Amino acid sequence: MTTELQTTPEVGGMGHSVKRKEDPRFIRGKGEYIDDVNLPGQLWLDIARSPYAHARIKSIDSSEALKIPGVLAVITGKDLEGYKLHWMPTLAGDMQMVLPTDTVMYQSQEVAAVIATSRYAAADGVAAVMVDYEPLPVVVDPHKALEAGAPVLRPDRGEGKQTNHIWHWESGDKAAADAALANAEVRVAEDIYIPRIHVASIETCGCVADWDPVRQQLTLHMTSQAPHAIRTVVALVAAGAGLPIYEHNIRVKTHDIGGGFGGKVPVYPGYVLAVAASFLIGKPVKWIEDRSENLQADSFARDYHIHAELGATKDGKITGLKVKTIADHGYTDAAADPSKFPAGLFNVITGSYDFPDAFVEVDGVYTNKPPGGVAYRCSFRVTEAVHAIERMVDILAHEIGKDPAQLRMENFIKPEQFPYTTPTGWEYDSGDYGRALKLALDRIGYDDLRREQAEKRARGELMGIGISSFTEIVGAGPSHTFDILGLKMFDSCEIRVHPTGKVLARIGVQTQGQGHETTFAQIIAEELGFPVADIKIEYGDTDTAPYGLGTYASRSTPVAGAATAVAARKIRDKARKIAAHLLEASEDDLEWTNGKFSVKGSPDKVKTIQEIAFAAYTNHPQGMEAGLEAVDYYDPPNLTFPFGSYICVVDIDKGTGEVKVRRFVAVDDCGNIINPMIVDGQIHGGLTMGLAPALYEAITYDENGNNLAGTFMDYLLPTAVETPAWELDKTITPSPHHPIGAKGVGESATVGAPPAIANAVVDALWHLGVRNIDIPITPQKVWAILHEKGVS
Amino acid sequence: MKFSGTVQINAPRDRVWAFVIDPDQVGQCGPGVESIEVVDESHFKATAKVGIGFISARFNVNMEFAELAAPDRAVIKAHGQAPGSAVDATAEMALSGPAEGPTTMDWSADVQLAGTMASLGARLIEGTANKMIGQTFDCMRAKLEA
Repeated sequence: MTTELQTTPEVGGMGHSVKRKEDPRFIRGKGEYIDDVNLPGQLWLDIARSPYAHARIKSIDSSEALKIPGVLAVITGKDLEGYKLHWMPTLAGDMQMVLPTDTVMYQSQEVAAVIATSRYAAADGVAAVMVDYEPLPVVVDPHKALEAGAPVLRPDRGEGKQTNHIWHWESGDKAAADAALANAEVRVAEDIYIPRIHVASIETCGCVADWDPVRQQLTLHMTSQAPHAIRTVVALVAAGAGLPIYEHNIRVKTHDIGGGFGGKVPVYPGYVLAVAASFLIGKPVKWIEDRSENLQADSFARDYHIHAELGATKDGKITGLKVKTIADHGYTDAAADPSKFPAGLFNVITGSYDFPDAFVEVDGVYTNKPPGGVAYRCSFRVTEAVHAIERMVDILAHEIGKDPAQLRMENFIKPEQFPYTTPTGWEYDSGDYGRALKLALDRIGYDDLRREQAEKRARGELMGIGISSFTEIVGAGPSHTFDILGLKMFDSCEIRVHPTGKVLARIGVQTQGQGHETTFAQIIAEELGFPVADIKIEYGDTDTAPYGLGTYASRSTPVAGAATAVAARKIRDKARKIAAHLLEASEDDLEWTNGKFSVKGSPDKVKTIQEIAFAAYTNHPQGMEAGLEAVDYYDPPNLTFPFGSYICVVDIDKGTGEVKVRRFVAVDDCGNIINPMIVDGQIHGGLTMGLAPALYEAITYDENGNNLAGTFMDYLLPTAVETPAWELDKTITPSPHHPIGAKGVGESATVGAPPAIANAVVDALWHLGVRNIDIPITPQKVWAILHEKGVS
Repeated sequence: MKFSGTVQINAPRDRVWAFVIDPDQVGQCGPGVESIEVVDESHFKATAKVGIGFISARFNVNMEFAELAAPDRAVIKAHGQAPGSAVDATAEMALSGPAEGPTTMDWSADVQLAGTMASLGARLIEGTANKMIGQTFDCMRAKLEA
């Protein structure tokens, strides 16, 4: 399917595969990442970390560290306590230690910071800091954390909260869902665990904090997906500590970012320590995580223990859903979810299906692990929700002996039902789920594959076909419902048109690989007719960019993209007035086409947008403000709901248990498309990041709380070798409420892919009595099942 | 992690006993042990360099004879720390057999490893530990049977 293009390739508006404007610097090695930032007089910070997952600190001896040449200072929690900086708020409103004063809560937690004149001296200093610990009982399993008598991990929370239970959240109508399940002719139930995983971006986290004591100015160069929010948090924390660091004197600058995926939304202790050290010493202080620190200590995603029950009629019409979930948050709730949604948007778990009753409940729990709950390329717990519903629908289909594609087709919300209100209260904007699934079935040759599967099964070979027809929920969000730490989740764009017809636009969202310098220019090109080549997009400098909540949860295009279109339209409105003045015509008699205003009926009377821009500074109408600029802070009326249907074919090696993804067809619908090449790239990356947790990635802990995946030897990222050739297609169902009809795509594939793969594996093994295998589906797990079932 | 085993040593029981409760002697058989310092009758300290896979660390270990029942039973508790890693262990040993030998040593150890060593070396810990235990007993046998 193609969209009708409104602009020429030279202009490069919506729908053109414009080559990425950022790539020349990246492919020449001229990108500037955080570790490329080096300032005169800069010092280094490194962090001593706890070997224990739970222990009391009896003493910290810095004396040997301070003898090392180049080591200037060792900062402990007791030092920070004097400034009330030993604890800091998390984005979820919980508290997190910057450095502990008495108790460590997870293996690899920060215990002391060493400041030195070189990175090597800092590392030597870390090795010489002697900490005497008294180990305490470790709580690794969230179910055990809730048992009576479990050690209370967070005694600091005060009276009435002396429990490891953090919060309870529920959505939907419990009585109605109970009744629907009780009356269901068929009822399927399953426990599904979505393991803890890590974003593992290629660039780890880091910063250079630069406090200028003369100018009383803090410049914080850092890896952040949300620089403005960071600026405000720093200002609030500084105010709480009584430090003279005020928001107008704080500049957060992000540079190029080597992957975010949600992991660069939170504030980590390393950032705060670098700021504190720079403030105390008056010199720039640099902190760069190493790979193992990143994999062991930064915020994690998923870790949901889900129990789901689905009710249906005997011919497969879904009637109700109940879901009970334990969410393992580690020792603090540092999730970056909107404040009214402690379990994110997990209640989108009713998925693409039309049924009346659902009830979802989630309980957040503390354990001796690092903070969990960041959204790894997933709009706030949607991956967990989609995995659960798509697994459950498949189990239902297999249970009643109906083809999983047919069962989905019969249960989909129909196109004419949109806008559709789900039983948990979301209003889906638009969708045509049947069309996407039909296209995927045709593309992969579904009927032939089912025949092949039957033949192979007769020969004892293991082949499976899995489907995932997901609905995403992105673009947070409308200010009446969505905020983080009280900051409403609008986003922004400011556009300045220069006299010579060149454009500078600044956006409130960050880019960490998405290609915003290109796609946001394309939105402006579409709306105003300036060629993409003439438009510069800036972001990530809080001194210049308008305030925004940042890039995560597929919100850039839905929110800041909308702001960009609306700001451009404000400019076009002013341009119309200027054109009317130049053409000596009434505004009502002007027509806008292809970057020009012309007088209706007199096509030779034309002013181009470039001529109008020049006039805005040289010949503007008397009484009108000079210049051609606009800003928009866009408050979306609703979220957007991208969707798609994925089909995966797997072959299983009976000898080794290895799962081979033979084919994978992905049909995505993200509404109107700005740049098809970039969308395809997002989907390629997203599918690979969906393959990863399905078959390879998991962070596990031993009984003492040691992270068992602290390097890339144990945390298996798929490479080109493991990755199949993705087959992409698309349908286009515009969002009716978005100014350019776009929905966002960054996370669809990561959300949609894992259940397609898991469903394919279970499909291959169902006849052996297998109902569910928790991801990652490793060869060991499959081999053990085959062994148990006597297959060889 | 729990380990246990039985070793036969062709030496009189009292000689084996004297050897294993003498930190200076038995310490020479610990792989990677760089120094031993006797603090008092039941306490001693050791520094040892331990490598698992691609990581290694120098542990400072405090050890204590928690039980010492001559001539056949001893319990040692150990707590060691290295940058980012820690180990806590309890080892039990019982000797039996004719007084003139050969002596049978039944031993067991419960080792809790924490931190970088446990995290980064997880897949290799058991193999490495078994190798180190084997080296220790080979050394003891060599010295006692000489």
